[in-house]
Amino acid sequence: MQRSHWVGAGFLASALVLTSCTSGPAGVSAEQDSKAPLELWTRTTPGGPGEQGTLKLAAAFEKATGFKVEVTAIFDDFETKLQQRAAQKNLPDIVMNDVTQLGAMHSQGLLREIDLGKIKSAEQIIGQGLDSGKSVDGKQFGLPYSAQASALLIRKDWREKLKLEVPRSWDDFAAMASAFTTEDPDGDGKNNTSGLAAPLSTKRGYASWYFSNFLWAAGGDFITEAGKGTYKPTMSTKESVAATQWFRDLGCKDKVIQPGAVTMETPPTNETFEAGRTGMFVVGPYLLPRFDETLGKDKYEVVPMPKGPKDATVLAEGASVYLMAGSENMAGQDSFADFALSAEGQKIGMQGDTGFTVQLPVNKTVDVSAVRPDPRWKTYADVYENSGRYAPSIPNWTPVRQTTAETVNALMADCDLDVETKLGELDKQLADILKEQGIAAS
Amino acid sequence: MSLDQADPAALPAAGPAARKTGRKDGGAASARRGSNRRAGRWWTPWLFLAPALLLFLYFKFIPMANALTMSFQEVQPYLGNKWVGTENYSTVLHSEGFREAAWHTVVLAAGQTAGSMALGLALALLMEGQGRRLGFVRSAAFLPVVVPIAVVAELWRIMYHPTEDGMLNGILGMVGLGPSGFINDPDTSMASIMLTGIWRGAPYDMMIILAGLTSVDRGLYEAAKVDGASRTQRVWHVTVPGLRSVFSILFILAAIRGLRVFTEVFLLTNGGPDGSTEVVMTLIYKLGLEQNRLGVGAAGAVLLFIATLILTIVVHLLRRRESK
Repeated sequence: MQRSHWVGAGFLASALVLTSCTSGPAGVSAEQDSKAPLELWTRTTPGGPGEQGTLKLAAAFEKATGFKVEVTAIFDDFETKLQQRAAQKNLPDIVMNDVTQLGAMHSQGLLREIDLGKIKSAEQIIGQGLDSGKSVDGKQFGLPYSAQASALLIRKDWREKLKLEVPRSWDDFAAMASAFTTEDPDGDGKNNTSGLAAPLSTKRGYASWYFSNFLWAAGGDFITEAGKGTYKPTMSTKESVAATQWFRDLGCKDKVIQPGAVTMETPPTNETFEAGRTGMFVVGPYLLPRFDETLGKDKYEVVPMPKGPKDATVLAEGASVYLMAGSENMAGQDSFADFALSAEGQKIGMQGDTGFTVQLPVNKTVDVSAVRPDPRWKTYADVYENSGRYAPSIPNWTPVRQTTAETVNALMADCDLDVETKLGELDKQLADILKEQGIAAS
Repeated sequence: MSLDQADPAALPAAGPAARKTGRKDGGAASARRGSNRRAGRWWTPWLFLAPALLLFLYFKFIPMANALTMSFQEVQPYLGNKWVGTENYSTVLHSEGFREAAWHTVVLAAGQTAGSMALGLALALLMEGQGRRLGFVRSAAFLPVVVPIAVVAELWRIMYHPTEDGMLNGILGMVGLGPSGFINDPDTSMASIMLTGIWRGAPYDMMIILAGLTSVDRGLYEAAKVDGASRTQRVWHVTVPGLRSVFSILFILAAIRGLRVFTEVFLLTNGGPDGSTEVVMTLIYKLGLEQNRLGVGAAGAVLLFIATLILTIVVHLLRRRESK
């Protein structure tokens, strides 16, 4: 018995020793081997056209430089899987993911700083794109390879049937949404259509993501810079409250948003548009190939968002190449980033009808119309250039997005809640988040 | 040492001879050697357990110890973790979100446990017997347990469609009710998730209760019938007491399952709308993996583990007292 106790204790002790071995700080500088294959993770559906596009880009890169790349496509819970690899201290060499993931990855030390001197193509990158890859201290930790902005998709056949003009103001927008909801635009005699498709679930902060298009156009903001790299919460300002109230009325008063929106993420929301249940959708260009196939190119049109109380600012986003820490092939990492940003890499990324990895080019020397003659892409490119706005670079944008998404979700789900009280509470939460990240304005 | 002694071939010859003489010694010496031999094999059970223990060690105990360590740290895998003492626990315990999520978890666990057991018992009583057709019906009733939870969640999302043409709202409409928002309305979302959980959990409980029913003495039913007990009285006074041990096991399993509820909530509502279905596991997921605050998430996970442990111990103690 005594001995068995000792054996048990031995197991426990070795578990603790092993545990302590795995929780120490990791070596960021690994021994270099320029022949080591580069492991590349991209956030796209495995087996889908996005993966095919990335494989094509990787193949062209291999041919041009001789470095080897192994592509892995992951869509669901991408960040979770990355965390698991971080815990094992065995990160992929390159990650291609949303620009807003920069802060979260940087603050955890998952990224290595990029020396722009080694990336020749960086000189050709659009200014605001390059800025989106900078951390809060102004250092470069990501390089955009694709950009996008939100524009408005409208069911053209519905609009024409109801003899409506393309909306130019928020009033037109609300009127069209209302007409699409109540005037049976699909002509089936049933009350089964809604004006606006909106993913308002809290997952990945979708509600906040979508709402930012309306908040910014009204002159409101989630947080605002207050000088010297500090920020203050601004969700209870007059403009933010007005924007929230207006958006909420679409759901609560006019009831023009699709039923069930508050628990919907993007896939079921996309389906409402392609199934003819919703008539308008504010979204990036990446869904055009999908809707062309499922809905038909002639059934819908792409127009810039109508001007809000302030302007027509929409959410600009995109995806960046991140060079991960602890790589044993840093030369290969630099070379891939350079290739992805070059005119050649951008054009390869834009090829095809569905499998492109580059939505809008970030390289100034590439003209979107020359590669894609479809004028809808030009619309998106113009919106990005004239009205696109990225989320600010703070140490970790995710908690801000998550918290605001929860409030927007709450206000849309429960029409009895008081908007101003809820936004006041949100500002307090945002203040705590900013304080925790060390960027709160005093 | 001579060469002969070192020669391995010489050993087998020496072995049996030595044992032979040993046997001849008889009595005390033999007993001593026997006990020595038994004592010398103390490791045999450990040897058999080793493969399982190693797997458990690597996949369970080390991650658990890791989570415990992480709950006292600010986790930054590549920068090195920072020791922050009990700060993570204080963050979790002082957050209103956590307290609400804990309450939702308890409500959901209690509702799903009670609902599944009641429905499971009803199904088991209906499907008890030897008939050949019953086997088919039982298998059909058991289907919800074997269908992957992701599929279940998607099916229920469709059934819960919040307009008049939604499937469940169509049924409600026939009896002049609705339409209900189901998972999309903060007032009904928790009950809707509970209903999905009960639908999925009840057939599992039914199977275990069916197994338990076979051990209930048939004679007791007949005796009760002779004594003039009604059908309900027979169920209440004979069947239910006969299933006491089954119920207590089911209760532990269901309560633990209830406390750890995650997938159906994550897939159906992700804690929304308005945080009305946020449970501890979805909150831990959000904190740890969506907001990258792994230390705070780990502290929440440790608290959940402690709650589950306490619940299990309390139920065990109650059972022990009852059996005395």
